[in-house]
Amino acid sequence: MAGSKVQKIDIPLFMPRSYMSTEVNKTGSWRFLRPRYDEKTAPCSAACPAGEDIARIEMLTTQGLFKEAWETILKENPFPAVCGRVCFHPCEGVCNRGEFDTAVAIHVMERFLAETALRYDLKPLLEQSPGKKEKVAIVGAGPSGLSAACFLNRLGYACDVFEAASEPGGILRWGIPEYRLPLPALRSEIARIESAGVRIITNKRLPADFAVGAKGNYDAVFIGCGHGRTTMLRIPGEDSSGVEDGLEFLNRIRRGAKPPVDGLSAVIGGGNTAVDVARSILRLGGKAVILYRRRRQDMPAFQEEVEMALEEGVELKELLAPARIVKDRKGLLITMRPMKVAGEDESGRGRVEPAGGKTQEFRVRRVFKATGAEAVEEWLNPPGRQRNVLLLENCVLVNRAKGPAVVFGGDLTNETKSVAHAVASGKAAAIALDTFFREGFKAVRSRLKSCAVGNGKALSMEIYMGGERRLRNPHVVRFGEINTDYFHFAPRITQPRLMKEERLNTFKEIDLKISANLAIREAERCFNCGVCNRCDNCYLFCPDLSVIREQDLVGRHVNYDYCKGCGLCVVECPRNAMTLEEEKR
Amino acid sequence: MKRVLEGSHAVAEAVRLAKVQVISAYPITPQTHIVEILSDYCSTGKLKAKFLRVESEHSALAALIGAQSSGVRTFTATSSQGLALMHELLHWSSGARLPIVMAEVNRALGPGWNIWMDQTDSLAQRDTGWIQFYCEDSQEVLDTTLQAYRLAEEVNLPVMVVLDAFFLSHTYEPVDIPDEKDVDRFLPPFAPKFQLDTANPCSFGQLVTPAFYMEMRHDIDRAMDLALVRFGEIEEEYARIFKRRYGAVEAIQCSDADIILLTSGTVTSTCRLVLKALRDRGEKVGILKVKLFRPTPAEQIRGALKSAKKVAVVDRNCSFGAGGIFAQEVRAALCNLPGHPLVYGYIAGIGGRDVTPELLEEIYWKTKNSEVPEKESVWMGLQEVAHGTQRS
Repeated sequence: MAGSKVQKIDIPLFMPRSYMSTEVNKTGSWRFLRPRYDEKTAPCSAACPAGEDIARIEMLTTQGLFKEAWETILKENPFPAVCGRVCFHPCEGVCNRGEFDTAVAIHVMERFLAETALRYDLKPLLEQSPGKKEKVAIVGAGPSGLSAACFLNRLGYACDVFEAASEPGGILRWGIPEYRLPLPALRSEIARIESAGVRIITNKRLPADFAVGAKGNYDAVFIGCGHGRTTMLRIPGEDSSGVEDGLEFLNRIRRGAKPPVDGLSAVIGGGNTAVDVARSILRLGGKAVILYRRRRQDMPAFQEEVEMALEEGVELKELLAPARIVKDRKGLLITMRPMKVAGEDESGRGRVEPAGGKTQEFRVRRVFKATGAEAVEEWLNPPGRQRNVLLLENCVLVNRAKGPAVVFGGDLTNETKSVAHAVASGKAAAIALDTFFREGFKAVRSRLKSCAVGNGKALSMEIYMGGERRLRNPHVVRFGEINTDYFHFAPRITQPRLMKEERLNTFKEIDLKISANLAIREAERCFNCGVCNRCDNCYLFCPDLSVIREQDLVGRHVNYDYCKGCGLCVVECPRNAMTLEEEKR
Repeated sequence: MKRVLEGSHAVAEAVRLAKVQVISAYPITPQTHIVEILSDYCSTGKLKAKFLRVESEHSALAALIGAQSSGVRTFTATSSQGLALMHELLHWSSGARLPIVMAEVNRALGPGWNIWMDQTDSLAQRDTGWIQFYCEDSQEVLDTTLQAYRLAEEVNLPVMVVLDAFFLSHTYEPVDIPDEKDVDRFLPPFAPKFQLDTANPCSFGQLVTPAFYMEMRHDIDRAMDLALVRFGEIEEEYARIFKRRYGAVEAIQCSDADIILLTSGTVTSTCRLVLKALRDRGEKVGILKVKLFRPTPAEQIRGALKSAKKVAVVDRNCSFGAGGIFAQEVRAALCNLPGHPLVYGYIAGIGGRDVTPELLEEIYWKTKNSEVPEKESVWMGLQEVAHGTQRS
């Protein structure tokens, strides 16, 4: 070894020593495995219909970067204040933390960030494409229409939104009770969309031939009028007075009316509308019983909502289908036919069929129909498979030979009728139209595919607009890929709520606000699957000092001159933001 | 100044007087009392040293290797499994020629778990290039620890000061604690012959090819030889100042003895009583206490044993399949001496069992009454036990 020398002292002391830096020895040449920073896709973000970058949102929240976290939501979803409250949060169902203790309360944090933005009147700074010459008309100012307008506006298109009602919001404004979605939360989100440049024209009901006539004024039309009419029960006595439309009932309450609900009312259905109607009846002083043809676990309504409804005093009768309604002097007599479970459908929901046997009768003052909804007008329904029609996920694009292109979206096309899916619809429409205008009809499908989150159904506007997120590996991180040694068990936040007694005589919001402290603590439970939060385990564990922290303290890179490919960094990365692969020489 | 001290505290006093600069240790019974009191000294400022808490004995010695390389005086203490865990770094510290001093409290190795006296732990490390001293009482522990620093730093080899678990480590005895000024005279501050220096960075101990490695190892062996000479000189100097000396070996009434009992550690004290009793009855018996185990003081052992007829070696250890380790060493030292005495090996007091005067006398009579050793080592004082692995 260079520099060895003998000590000239009276005791034998022959020692190797070197004055040369060990940097001459490029140990990287020994490597046959190569670690690299490789951010991946979190399961929550792939499961979110709006494709929100949840792992990153929680990471920013833990750092107290509330505005940045909120903006990260807004990149994919213009409705955090709404979705934080009413979304059915499929993200939490697939949360890897659920296999460790309990899923992260993602929706609670979403609402917290939205509240924080509202409280400090934050103005988001989002990427905006330069203006384009094309103009788009949006029919219906519900969540899908407003989302389409918001995203198209961000892509540089001028948008006019036409709304038949006196105020925008659609189902959010007229269908969801105030105790779940208070008005200020909704109005602030719509105001933000308007202030970005979207024009909303209310009290404007458009004719069926609008799309044809729009030629010259608009280059495309987005139709997102939703399902505004409750489906028929198709049973005798359905037209009797006292049989009411559930959606219409909710609408009247949201318009400020207090419809009479004295005595017992029957609500037919198992979706959120049925539950909303029943709980609203309670708040107006009545009693409600939900009659549902399947079982409680098959109800499309959110489990938590059902639970709270029962807690508040709503009754639930399962496996009963309506047979007929008779009106007499004492009110309504509704006859229910018993049903039985006969297997399951693909989604695991019980399939039912008549059980035979004795029918049951319920004596009620009113019956509310809440068995589902449909489009108000026939022309609002999208066309089927044709050469000039693209049946896309959450929207349908029609390339018409004459006149502007038409996109159908929202509940008109969505299999799952949720706000998050409405947002997904608006986003898909915006990307589809931008691609259609710039690259043509044929390019649309592959372009949409290229901005999918984790190769799933959700689309990312950030990926489409060329943001950093496009570098994410579409691989969806599994629980087994998380190094749970770096996490300890922590209970999920308990959503503070109004007490049951407080809820019953008011439409005040039930879910209360949480403090920043609690939000940060909950965000810290997030594994940030696949996303680097700069914990620096890689830096600390690298035995070859080959993890280099960049000057900005944000970036990290591997010095391949010396990295021997031991893989410690990859193994010790708690969140699978690195990958070890075979060295190709 | 005389004080009644536990053996462990005698070590700690010596470390304090030696003005050690870095201590790193991991607790293990029966060693813990040593570092407990030292950590207290470090926290109160009684000893101006850095006390490093580490996660294992392996790390404790690794930390000292780093510290000692930077040119400071260091100390650690351990026992049993702790020493075994240090094994790799024991080789490293001697190979790197670092004068680290360690107190090793002899304790049995598990399983079965046993915290009591047994020499096998330290003797199993005999080939690691560490100088090893076995002490008889607390005073010797204190004196030897101070001498250990002088010796280690002069020959650039690490030193292990070994003391018996409980019989010595936890027994209170009067100990004369030397005056600090006298100690400073005997043991000046550490002057490293080489050290890490940030102003002139270099690295030690990197790759050495076959062309040089052998010479490095030869140097360690030569340094061991030199240690034997230097230890004598150091003891001279120590005796001049402190009026105490022990010798690498101590021959007690060996010159006219027919049978010599060879001992180490605290058994020697018991043996001194047995010697008196036997001499009173006209038996020609002597004791050879071996204090320095490595380097082996072969010449002195031969000198003390040459006129005896038989040597009875009391081993509180066992190299399984080869018998007592001291007995092996004595046989090796004697084998080329024409007409050398017969060597009788006895294994006694394993795992903390008492070695009583009666047992030592039995060893004496057994030796006297057998013409040749019946085997390499005879296990003494075994009891009848039920063997088998099945649960009854």
